[in-house]
Amino acid sequence: MVKPVRHIVIVGGGTAGWLTAGVIAAKHRARMGAEFSVTLVESPNTPIIGVGEGTWPTLRSTLARIGVSETEFFRKCEAAFKQGARFARWTTGEADDFYYHPLMLPQSFAQLNLVPHWLAREDGRSFCDAVCPQGRLCDDGLAPKTIATAEFEAVANYSYHLDAGKFAAFLQEHCCEKLGVRHVLADVQRVNLAPGGDILSLSTPQAGEIAGDLFVDCTGFKALLIGETLGVPFKECGDVLFCDRALAVQVPYASEATPIACQTISTAQSAGWIWDIGLPARRGVGHVYSSRHISDQQAERELRDYLGAAGRDLPVRKLVIPAGHRETFWKRNCVAVGLAAGFLEPLEASAIVLIELSAKFIAEQLPVCREVMDLIAARFNATTQYRWGRIIDFLKLHYVLTKRTDSAFWRDNLLPETIPDRLQDLLLLWSHQSPWFHDEFDRVEEVFPAASYQYVLYGMGFRTQVEPAALSGDAKNAERALRENAIQTERLRAGLPRHRELIRKIVEHGMQTV
Amino acid sequence: MPNLQLLNPKTHGQLRLRSTAEAAPHFLQVLAPEFQVAATCCPILFTKDPETGSFYAGAMFGFKPGENLLGSPEDRGGFHPLMLQREGFFMSERNIAIDRDHARFSEHEGEPLFNEAHEPGNSLRAIQRTLGEIHHGLERNKSFIAELTAHKLIEPIEISLKFENGERLTLQGLYTVSLDRLRDVDDAAALQLFRAGHLQLAYTMAASLKHIPRLAQLREQQQATRGQSRQA
Repeated sequence: MVKPVRHIVIVGGGTAGWLTAGVIAAKHRARMGAEFSVTLVESPNTPIIGVGEGTWPTLRSTLARIGVSETEFFRKCEAAFKQGARFARWTTGEADDFYYHPLMLPQSFAQLNLVPHWLAREDGRSFCDAVCPQGRLCDDGLAPKTIATAEFEAVANYSYHLDAGKFAAFLQEHCCEKLGVRHVLADVQRVNLAPGGDILSLSTPQAGEIAGDLFVDCTGFKALLIGETLGVPFKECGDVLFCDRALAVQVPYASEATPIACQTISTAQSAGWIWDIGLPARRGVGHVYSSRHISDQQAERELRDYLGAAGRDLPVRKLVIPAGHRETFWKRNCVAVGLAAGFLEPLEASAIVLIELSAKFIAEQLPVCREVMDLIAARFNATTQYRWGRIIDFLKLHYVLTKRTDSAFWRDNLLPETIPDRLQDLLLLWSHQSPWFHDEFDRVEEVFPAASYQYVLYGMGFRTQVEPAALSGDAKNAERALRENAIQTERLRAGLPRHRELIRKIVEHGMQTV
Repeated sequence: MPNLQLLNPKTHGQLRLRSTAEAAPHFLQVLAPEFQVAATCCPILFTKDPETGSFYAGAMFGFKPGENLLGSPEDRGGFHPLMLQREGFFMSERNIAIDRDHARFSEHEGEPLFNEAHEPGNSLRAIQRTLGEIHHGLERNKSFIAELTAHKLIEPIEISLKFENGERLTLQGLYTVSLDRLRDVDDAAALQLFRAGHLQLAYTMAASLKHIPRLAQLREQQQATRGQSRQA
């Protein structure tokens, strides 16, 4: 007799828990009820970590899919728009050293790879500005849409910066009131296993025993189910990505009219980097660094230097952030999502996008019965393993392209034994041909598309050999695309409102759904 | 910038209202009480206020700014838009304000606004009625649009036109009532829409779309006439 999977139990009430609950409940909306349920168990005593204020544009479709209003999201989550990341001092470390990794694809990306054409020109324009308007929009402090653009639609591609604590509360309300998710406030005292090793139930003092067919571990670094109970080891990757500490601080604006940056600003330091994220009411700033290279005191000094007078006397919160992930993510009838699955420095805002991709996978391929669960789990593990690997490669790419030699941290990042083999092979390949469609990133729902590699590579001064004769066939099309980009850039700069102005209007008037 | 002044017989006792050739814009806000008559001559569509993003209904007289294919009241079959009638006049709290610099006002020609007793004359009384109708109409529009939005009955409509001279026009940022979704509303909502008078407004808007090809044809004819006169 088959054992159907009907009752999903999610443990943990942070961003991972509520996003997963929302995505599963929305997908199975039609059968939510006595025969199928999603329960989220949250400890009333554990504070949520609330990292990850940056997101990917995938969050727009995720939010739309679970049925929330983007207007309400802006009103309740202290949200702002994000159009990419500005990396400062990563290449040479000089004051004028910066590049953008925007969210818009290069012009005509589906038809044409503009990289070799841009390289052949050597006209001094940055790759980003030559192929995409978004760096200029960020420079100008403009929003990626207007008040007349419908919810979740973009004029220029965007994601969000948000207050993770408010976001979890917002999702909770929607999940419970609109999607029928059962919310249980209780501490998990014991995890009860069946004879075969599956998780049978959770014992709680407040709500008694909570049974389920599939358990989702969203307990954060604690990894209560996947780690503590099922013993899946944590695989560190500190040998590739050195940062293992963070100092976080919330910085108020000088005035209510201070412009809000529409991009994450990431500024390299002597042994790490500082994130700077603009929300409507405050900035979230933090220093991510390698404890093997500098002391906490020195790290705090660099953070205070960065903040200047604005940061004087502000309290700093210290986080220990071990880089790495579980060896497997889905074992028996338990799957880990969020920090329980792993953590990497927030250099490219990969945390929430991984939650979304995992939740979508679980919701769409939810095993019908226990008998097929191991097959789905194997697929999930292969896909998720691949994703973590690609994210690690992509983050490392930011470090291996540096020309900085001013500290051991930057020099150590170039040691070949710290660079994954796959990334080394790709760098060799890319010195002769630039990344594009036919290349490497062939998986459905690749976390970072080839365009992202282009922006980082050529933003940091990487050079691919160009054979001018090989380009002539496409020269006219490339010419047209570059011209089109210049026109589009000016059109958007003239038509888009200031970032803070648009958020004010969204809060006041709301956006239409069409 | 309009030169706004509160209307009063002391200052404006000599003021007269000229009958100006009203040049209607290509898209003009239209109010619920006018829907029936407007729909006899032109399409009624929604668009968004660029300042707030909220919907308003408008009568379409041309396909781009500066173009009016229904220039005269006869072309519009007697439809005399409230928003044209009120030109130069504004409501300020319970009072009427005027844009003193508007071409409608003159001290020499036209009908006097006030009579010798400093009471409103016929022309001003008509304006007072118009402003009252506008006030009432704006309220009706607001509740109509709010209810359509609540039931997700507004949908974008893209209008692509191709003319004989090769010109192509794609009109964006326009919306109409979704008849498909309207058919799907539950009975309680349908009854509510009907009782509020919103169902009739919705069907009137939907039916008025028939005027789009007619306007395009008018445009074709007007261009042909202009082309001939250039040749001659």
